[in-house]
Amino acid sequence: MIEEVVARLTAAGATPARAGRDPVNLPMIRTWLEAMGDGNPAYEQAGVAPPAMIQVWTMRGLAPSPVDDPLQVMSELLDESGYRAVVATDSEQVYHRPLRLGETVSVRSQLEAVVGPKRTSLGEGWFVTTLSTWLVGDEPVGEMRFRILRYKPSGNPDRPATEKLRPMITADNAAFWEGAAAGELRIQKCGECGTMRHPPGPACPQCGSLKPEYTTAEGTGRIHSYVVHHHPPVPGRRAPYTVALVDLTEGVRVVAEYRGPRPEIGDPVRVFFDDGLPVWRPDVEVLGPWALEVTPTLIVSTALATRDFQNVHHDRDAAVRLGGKDIFLNILTTTGLVQRFVTDALGPDTRVRGIRIRLGTPCHAYDTLTFTGQVLPHGIEVAGRTAAGVHVSGTVEVAS
Amino acid sequence: MISRTAAIAGIGATEFSKDSGRSELRLAVEAIRAALDDAGLRPADVSGLVTFTMDNNSEIAVARELGIGELTFLTRIGYGGGAACAIVQQAVLAVTAGLADVVVCYRALNERSGRRFGQAYASPDTDAGWHVPAGLATPAAQVAMVARRYLHDHGASTDDFGRVTVAARRHAATNPHAWFHGRPITLDDHRASRWIAEPLRLLDCCQESDGAVAVVVTGVERARDLPRPPAVIAAAAQGSGPGQFVMTSYYRPTVAGLPEIAVTGRQIWEQSGYRPADVRTAMLYDHFTPYVLMQLEELGFCAPGEARHLIADGGIEQGGRLPVNPHGGQLGEAYIHGMNGITEAVRQIRGTAVNQVPGGGPVLVTAGTGVPTSALLLEATP
Repeated sequence: MIEEVVARLTAAGATPARAGRDPVNLPMIRTWLEAMGDGNPAYEQAGVAPPAMIQVWTMRGLAPSPVDDPLQVMSELLDESGYRAVVATDSEQVYHRPLRLGETVSVRSQLEAVVGPKRTSLGEGWFVTTLSTWLVGDEPVGEMRFRILRYKPSGNPDRPATEKLRPMITADNAAFWEGAAAGELRIQKCGECGTMRHPPGPACPQCGSLKPEYTTAEGTGRIHSYVVHHHPPVPGRRAPYTVALVDLTEGVRVVAEYRGPRPEIGDPVRVFFDDGLPVWRPDVEVLGPWALEVTPTLIVSTALATRDFQNVHHDRDAAVRLGGKDIFLNILTTTGLVQRFVTDALGPDTRVRGIRIRLGTPCHAYDTLTFTGQVLPHGIEVAGRTAAGVHVSGTVEVAS
Repeated sequence: MISRTAAIAGIGATEFSKDSGRSELRLAVEAIRAALDDAGLRPADVSGLVTFTMDNNSEIAVARELGIGELTFLTRIGYGGGAACAIVQQAVLAVTAGLADVVVCYRALNERSGRRFGQAYASPDTDAGWHVPAGLATPAAQVAMVARRYLHDHGASTDDFGRVTVAARRHAATNPHAWFHGRPITLDDHRASRWIAEPLRLLDCCQESDGAVAVVVTGVERARDLPRPPAVIAAAAQGSGPGQFVMTSYYRPTVAGLPEIAVTGRQIWEQSGYRPADVRTAMLYDHFTPYVLMQLEELGFCAPGEARHLIADGGIEQGGRLPVNPHGGQLGEAYIHGMNGITEAVRQIRGTAVNQVPGGGPVLVTAGTGVPTSALLLEATP
């Protein structure tokens, strides 16, 4: 049944172009910027729309008329087949050129892939990927690959306990962990012969002295080896995650989690500290942190400014009834906030060419959403975290 | 010296399963009874019991259940699977020193139906505190750090790891006692298996098993009078390397090496007078495939970084240059913490193995890798 519908939708190809309700216009842009808190003057000066607004122009409004949208058809079919829960997992937008005031945007969409049934951490489910193309006349101006997971919630989700495994602190290693809590990488240095050593201990293996002291390392080094952990679940961690063994500039090795794009042996890294533990990141320019208090007003005003009228983004009772703890940010807003974070950090002239994000834990009202970024050759790696975990992570491509 | 002073006179095991349905103590009793029957001895003949620090069955509980009366020698060895050959070495020391006449070495564990070693585990140990909080919480992840560096240092590929597991499963396929009896795999199966801790896939990791193994050690002279041909212990060694940690020796100059295995290897050749080229078949501890490659190098079967050439084209399979783990090893037969490698070595010496390797040379056994470890070299009586 599922396979037959997939075959029919795939054979049908892209839907006919469906025009947005309004042309690109200044009032909607200003409302959107205001709701996002985005003060970037470049859009109005150039008479163009913020790139991350692209989907807004073709949103179908409060009372959409039925259309043969492949994502909607697949989603309803899977719902009827018992895959009742849904979560968006990826949104990859590419902007070919800025949209100018007065242009009318239309959209075509097609089914790209349906994969399943797969065992996921949420339960058994199907991944549905669609490709939307936005057009001005016949000219493609942007596209989006969008993926959802339709799943049967498993009563016993394969989720790690939330508590991370903690270090073992003893008289012999306390200096290291006190340093980590204070944001310093303290490496044992013999008080007699000066030999550096990690992990620390009470005696110097070089000279035999029982006078361990420490020096604060610069926190830079290169990857000696690394592991990408997938399975089994580890308490307090969401797989896959990476752990790296690093040759410090000072000459000893230290193991810590690594956060960043997939590394290579030899890559330069720099330490930072999270929750009292050292963490490696690529030794590149960093953006942020930028902490945003997510108020109900922010959630509701941005949902409406992005023309997303789903009740979970403005009606707390409805959100709670559907299993959430409160209303939560919609995906178009998360995308807009990612764009704001990057253009605020890099300056108003930054031209955003693409925003490819993976969606994680929902960002609810009263959460603090903290964005950080790393400037890498292929783009800006961005992550937005709440206390509950990673809400969004991905790459923003900017024009050089 | 201890060389050729003692022999393994009997071996025993339970079935190898994923859920034994009985206590570890009962498994120990069954395996020891089988080993004593095999040796033609009675519980009353036993004066020493040796096991792993990790074993949950006390020597006195085992003695009570078996009806062994007095014991004169009781001891244990630490560091997980690294103990496998070392407990036999303890037995040799006791027999040679005259402290005990017949010593039984045992290991019994419900490692699949009970606590699974493959799961995340926060060892209450200071050393583990450097690695577990960082997310290296499983043996596979801890080995993966070394494996990644090995690939980098020697230009090897994950296919080279895969060839180890393909060989093990080929051997297990014809061993009725193996969990993977009748289930050989191809290199494509390995390539398609899911990531556990990159660069290790599921098929690079040994299985988790329930079961028990026991061996009976006595003096060579007494062993000659017993029903089975003695497997003479030509060498027995323990080894720990510089900067040694348990599974996480990441702080010594070369990460992608097993110097503790080299320490045991040097003693094995020195004690026995044999060289690597004399070895007929080797039972190499194979909880994770990369360490089989590294053991071949550290023991002198090939130069550092050259193991991938030795294992190419079936080099460690039956009929190859050095058949490794003809019973299927822990990848293919069962994970009994290395003890099933010792029993297979004894069968190879006796000529009773299901995948018998022809020839008269000695048989090597190694124990847990990445930890303080041990090794044995067994030979037939002349």
